[in-house]
Amino acid sequence: MRVGELMHALIRNEVLKILLKKKMVLILTLLILFISLFSYGQKYVYEQNLSRLEASTSSAGYDWKSLAKQQIGDLERRLNSPYIDEEGINSINIEIEQLNYFIENDINPVTPTAARFTVEFIDQAIIMFIPLLIIILAADIVSGELSNRTIKVLLTRAIPRWKILFSKLMALMIMSTLVVLLVAIISTLISGMFFGRWGFNEPVTTGFRLVNGSLNSSYVRTVSRVSYMILVYSLTWFVSVVIASITLMISVLVQNTASAIGIVMSTLIGGQFLQFFLSDWVLVKYFFVSNLSLTKYLTGNYQQIEGMSLIFSVIVLGVWAAVSLAVGFYVFLKKDILV
Amino acid sequence: MKDTILSLQAVSKKINDKEIIKDIDFSIQRGEVLGFLGPNGAGKSTTLRMIVGLSRPTSGEIIVSGHSIQKDYVKAMSKVGAIIEGPDLYDYMTGYKNLEMLGAMSSNVTVKDIMSAVELVGMEHRIHDKVGTYSMGMKQRLGLAQALIHQPELLVLDEPTNGLDPQGIYEFREIIKNLATEKNISVLVSSHLIAEVQLMCDNVSIINQGEIIKNANVHELLSTGEVFWVVDRQEEACDFLNERYHIQGKCVDNRIEAVVDVSKLEVINASLIHAGFKLQYISAKNKTLEELFLSLTNQQGIM
Repeated sequence: MRVGELMHALIRNEVLKILLKKKMVLILTLLILFISLFSYGQKYVYEQNLSRLEASTSSAGYDWKSLAKQQIGDLERRLNSPYIDEEGINSINIEIEQLNYFIENDINPVTPTAARFTVEFIDQAIIMFIPLLIIILAADIVSGELSNRTIKVLLTRAIPRWKILFSKLMALMIMSTLVVLLVAIISTLISGMFFGRWGFNEPVTTGFRLVNGSLNSSYVRTVSRVSYMILVYSLTWFVSVVIASITLMISVLVQNTASAIGIVMSTLIGGQFLQFFLSDWVLVKYFFVSNLSLTKYLTGNYQQIEGMSLIFSVIVLGVWAAVSLAVGFYVFLKKDILV
Repeated sequence: MKDTILSLQAVSKKINDKEIIKDIDFSIQRGEVLGFLGPNGAGKSTTLRMIVGLSRPTSGEIIVSGHSIQKDYVKAMSKVGAIIEGPDLYDYMTGYKNLEMLGAMSSNVTVKDIMSAVELVGMEHRIHDKVGTYSMGMKQRLGLAQALIHQPELLVLDEPTNGLDPQGIYEFREIIKNLATEKNISVLVSSHLIAEVQLMCDNVSIINQGEIIKNANVHELLSTGEVFWVVDRQEEACDFLNERYHIQGKCVDNRIEAVVDVSKLEVINASLIHAGFKLQYISAKNKTLEELFLSLTNQQGIM
């Protein structure tokens, strides 16, 4: 009983520190800014497509099927371009096949809705933007106490060190969860305001699989947007937790916050380069950055490197998080505080 | 009643294969104020950090109120309050929030405990302001309050008066003395200023190059028996002292230096004046820290 109370107090302290540093204000500002920009961009592109359609068909009627067909036409024209490479051809073919599937099964993939935006935003944000928000939360969780030298009052209490670090980890988990929820809520609200359509009950197809470079729709299932959103955001939460764990370790290892942010950010960016330029190198797929795009597996037309799958990536990320936490705790317990 | 609050037994610390602390022993009784004296880099801070759990001894044992800090960390640490190298607290919170937060980390610290610590250090008026707006003196007071909220038996202060103005130093010293005499808290205070130790402490441990070179009572230690007089007719006065008291005086610059039994000074002075010397100034010399070190290290060399 007493033990639980103490841990509760410790976690509350750590959450309080994060809140009083006004980090959530920064995170909220970034979220609102970026989501507004993207929503506006998507609305703009959609309206352009729509007016092009109206110009070509000279009918003012609104019909997503013709719009989808127009998109197929655009894609087919791109296929004939002499500059396109093998991979490009494959992914365009897959897109065309998907669009055809949607038209045949009467699933509207074109009109932007809040629910769809919220998911597509994550597809893009999960490799860089979401990790960035988590880094803002986590980078100074230990290193900040070192550079402000407040670690001395923190570690001269009658509390074993592992409990201190554990409370910090728990506070990070709570705040990461909150950030992921905020991303979902804010992107839904803002894009909903832009598009004027929510689309929660639209069906979503998931489970497309690549078999020998072509799309196999025999595994395709149709689920509702809401359950799909929950799935996507659960994966996002998992990625956030992994990034938080890795950042926590870096924060323990370095002496100041600037280094912690620098190291994690450059790892993220470097990792993107790595998978872009060295995707043939077998080790790349065991690097955590290469495995962040969990949500893209759901649509089926994604396979960054041969042999990668959702399960594979989840396991790789899980191992990275576990090892990071083990290293972080070990170093924190052994550390001589000399600041 | 002899009641040992802190004892260090053969404590050593190696950092990167370099022996920073070499096999030191000392102890503090209940209500005792022990000065921990040494030049910069002697190992004071390293030793204090081991006592408050920020660092771990390579070998040896540290015992606080009967609990080994290595084996029974939580129990030992619950008796310790500390300020290590400056009162660094959370700038972005109010002083009160800081105390509340740190108080929540100990069992049964109540709002009353916090407020009485705040009153003790005289911070009632500014406690609800952000720490970032505090002066160094106020931060030091808050630092002390932070070290006291959980009613420790041992207070460990590392160079506590660094950066304080004379007024602040005086007040801080008075608070510490009161804590020791009224609440029977033992205090370990490190310093490189001998005057400070002299005013605050009962006993002193002197550390140099990672070794304790002397444990002693402050006043005994500092009194050198060296006295100097500034008088007219130096040579004559020198002879006079030699004839009368067998004092081997030396004339240095404008003064006579000699080693005498300080308790006889009054008689000697009276007779000097009686004999018609114009006595301008007399001083029983206390050693400076530098001299103390030199004399102590020399002693060691002979032994």
